Amino acid sequence: MDDDRVFKALADRTRRHLLDRLFEREGRTLTELESELEMTRFGVMKHLRVLEEAGLVVARRAGRKKLHFLNPVPIRLIHDRWIDKYAERRVSALAELKRKLEKGERA
Amino acid sequence: MTDVRTTQVYQVFIKAPPERVWEAITNPAMVAQYFFGAQMEQATFTVGSSVRSWSPDRKTLWTDNTVLESHPPRRLVHTWRSLYDKDLAAEAESRVTWEIEPQEGGYSKLTVVHDRLEGAPKTAKNVSGGWMLILSGLKTLVETGEPLTKFSQGVATQRQR
Repeated sequence: MDDDRVFKALADRTRRHLLDRLFEREGRTLTELESELEMTRFGVMKHLRVLEEAGLVVARRAGRKKLHFLNPVPIRLIHDRWIDKYAERRVSALAELKRKLEKGERA
Repeated sequence: MTDVRTTQVYQVFIKAPPERVWEAITNPAMVAQYFFGAQMEQATFTVGSSVRSWSPDRKTLWTDNTVLESHPPRRLVHTWRSLYDKDLAAEAESRVTWEIEPQEGGYSKLTVVHDRLEGAPKTAKNVSGGWMLILSGLKTLVETGEPLTKFSQGVATQRQR
């Protein structure tokens, strides 16, 4: 909902690592995530909560388990809002340069 | 993406009440503006009924899904099969759940869960980028009344900002 929360959540190495773990395989429990990190259960919970508040992680119940999923939409929205706006022209100029060079034309 | 993501979750907050989000999901004129230009047939969204969508030129059937659960304006569950691609269409049917929860401050939380993808690994890979674009586009359409992208023959071109 809030760009600030997403940027803040992403500005931490452990949280980015958690997102990478969830990207590789989704629907993980706290216990699974905890076993891969050198961190207390409480620490992992705290980081997951920040990610959930930013909307980057969605927790869903499946029977007695609470599974965590990566939600890529906030990153997409930031991409639409920030990356496209500033990068589009430069990226397309580079793509054009690459195309010309590969075709042997002078740039 | 290394593994097949057999349950995929997408969530977005939309500044609108659930009724308007439900309308965006079920109104063909709105669907066309964020769902790759899909031409959805007018549908009842009652349990057991089908929801059919065609390509923008209305020549190719893109989806023909069956409604499994319907609780307007909070929850819609339907089957999923990607008929727009021969390889994907041959895979097993999967399931899509739309959940709309009202939030404080006039927001709705829209969650799309695409699961039961165990028998549809190619579909699982194909839809992930699509759902992001769809939810991002649905949010913009509901909040601003303008489409995020213009679709021609299912190809998206990003709106200039």
